[in-house]
Amino acid sequence: MTTRVRPRRGDPALGSIALVALGLYVLFIVIPVIMSGWKSLTNENPLLAQADFVGLSNYTEMTRDSDLAASLSFTLLLAGAVTIVANVVGIGFAMLLNRTSLSYRMMRTVAFLPQVLSGVVVGYVWRYILARDGILNNVLVSLGIIGEPITWLGSPRLAMFSVGIVAAWVLTGFTTVVHLAALQSIPVELYQAALVDGAGRWQRFRRITFPMLAPGTTISVTISLITMLKLYDIIAVLTSGGPANSTQSTALYIIQLAFTDNRYGYASAVAMLLLVVSIVIALSVTALLRRREVDL
Amino acid sequence: MRRKRPTVVCLAAALALTGCSAASTGGGEGDSALTYLTFETPSLTAKFWDTSIANAEKKVPGVKVNKIVAPSTDRDAYAKQLQASGQFPDLLQSITPSTFATAGLLKPYDQTWVDAKFLLPMGNAYKGKVYIPPTNSQIIPEVFYNKKLFAEAGISAPPKTWSQFMAVCAKLKDAGITPVELGGGDPFSASMPLVGILSADVLGENPNWLKERYAGKVKFTDANVKAAVTKYRTMVEKGYFNDGALGVKYADSITNFTSGKAAMYIMGSWFLGAVPKDRADDFGAFLTPTDDGSLVVPFSVGGSMAVSAKAADPAKATAFAQAWSLDPANYKTLIEGDGAFPMLKDKTLDDYGVSVTKVFKDSYSYVTAQNEKVSAFGWATNDDSMPSGLNNAFYAASQALFSSDDIDGELAKLDAAWDAATK
Repeated sequence: MTTRVRPRRGDPALGSIALVALGLYVLFIVIPVIMSGWKSLTNENPLLAQADFVGLSNYTEMTRDSDLAASLSFTLLLAGAVTIVANVVGIGFAMLLNRTSLSYRMMRTVAFLPQVLSGVVVGYVWRYILARDGILNNVLVSLGIIGEPITWLGSPRLAMFSVGIVAAWVLTGFTTVVHLAALQSIPVELYQAALVDGAGRWQRFRRITFPMLAPGTTISVTISLITMLKLYDIIAVLTSGGPANSTQSTALYIIQLAFTDNRYGYASAVAMLLLVVSIVIALSVTALLRRREVDL
Repeated sequence: MRRKRPTVVCLAAALALTGCSAASTGGGEGDSALTYLTFETPSLTAKFWDTSIANAEKKVPGVKVNKIVAPSTDRDAYAKQLQASGQFPDLLQSITPSTFATAGLLKPYDQTWVDAKFLLPMGNAYKGKVYIPPTNSQIIPEVFYNKKLFAEAGISAPPKTWSQFMAVCAKLKDAGITPVELGGGDPFSASMPLVGILSADVLGENPNWLKERYAGKVKFTDANVKAAVTKYRTMVEKGYFNDGALGVKYADSITNFTSGKAAMYIMGSWFLGAVPKDRADDFGAFLTPTDDGSLVVPFSVGGSMAVSAKAADPAKATAFAQAWSLDPANYKTLIEGDGAFPMLKDKTLDDYGVSVTKVFKDSYSYVTAQNEKVSAFGWATNDDSMPSGLNNAFYAASQALFSSDDIDGELAKLDAAWDAATK
């Protein structure tokens, strides 16, 4: 028999845990952000061992940086599109898999699998799938759907599309699980009452399921957006930001500025911009979705 | 139980580890422990590095060299990371000297030694000093061709002028043969045809163009550069590259060309190491043709290792680097596996005991002959090297011109990138 220790108010053990958590948060989040903020006001170059204070010049440079504008546009487009696709598909999968039998539980595991894989592994696997002589083209050609193999990663537009599909594939595992949890919290009595009232499948979804999924959707959409705004690993392996920088996310651009161009100061400024953009988007979307929860 | 014990134990362990580390790198009393940044490729394997290091160690008593392997072939990027984390190696193999010499991180070699040992002592000198011994060279790029496919299309000889080259491409395409293989999925590989054309046309006319670009006297948007880039764009528009070229990885492009899927392949002379030995006579090579047929060799003198200005033992580090750089056994691997052209004085290919193909010998003749050699555009390690970071912009432009005909826009971007990198 296991004994549960009930936390008591003012329990010193809890206080210690909270302090440790706070300490880790400050050490690994707050201090690096403050340091990055400071570096963004310098022209730090690690090779030249130089770090002079330059005021806001890095921030004014950003307004003229066409590569930054392109990477930010791609990142925002990717985040928006992938969040919508992953959540719509995630809701669909969650409804399909909302059963208790063993086979459905196994399918849930399969659906979540992409989320468990490292981004690097995902990138490599999809690079082979999307290659000109890869599995996808072979299947499409052998089924007669296309005549010639498509270069999924070989033109700017197709590469952007391919990155989006791969990112959505990964994220759908997460959105499925979140929505599945939300689905399972919906009282069965609501569906029973709707059935008594003669509500059809679509009406049950529109009147009960979709509104009751709102809290899960808030979490899922917000985390999806944040994940996509800082996407690096999958793109780095899949396309390296190419062709012609068409799939260069802002995170990828920051790495290039810091480690190829040796511009720590400017890279930090771009990182601060991405942080602010992410915070603004996350807060706005959360506020919007929470309002929907309240309205229901 | 006393709570302090784990902390004390951890501290003691950390101190012990630090002590162990310092002791273990020594390799014996009086030995100098040096770190050496290398990289591995299919031809330059871990075994090659280990053997070459052991051989050089034997020639420099009292030195112990610990190998650091870069996670990719981009040694510069890894060296920068090591520098940023306070772990800059004592010796660095095949890096771009200008990137690090500017920051005062490298120690130049004794010029007398360089002058005495190498064919082109100042071949990769940066601001008058030699930071990597000029041990070998490459032609970047050459145009390799498949003789059988040329014959199939009724082409009897490789082209000498640009118009002949375009006619050859057209003839091949009409015969249903892909004229040029391009592994454009890897940015550096995508840029190779453009490197060839710019080296031949722009540097061929004005070998000081890159130095003048630093001085602001010339620009990418100038008419002569635009004319050269337009040639590349014309090749794209006429469909002379393989379908989906930007989706083909560099490694796959080699296989595609050697297996006969395309008639020509524009690549650095290191491709010579990948020519199948049993079918080597099927392949030939020529230089990117110029308008008037004059030969321009896009040349890059590479080198072995640079010595850190802050090396633990500068004298022994230099002695080790010199021993490694002169070891004929290393040249054998570099020549046969990496297609490198040796640049040691008073030596012929036979002196290295190598077995090389005819196409290698033909290519090497461009190096030994008296002809117009210019710095390979974007590949030079001397005063003609491009500013740090500009290569990425150049590669991106090469890829962008596959789907965009905005040549002016791409060249303006290069000018902007150059100005930002050198301000």
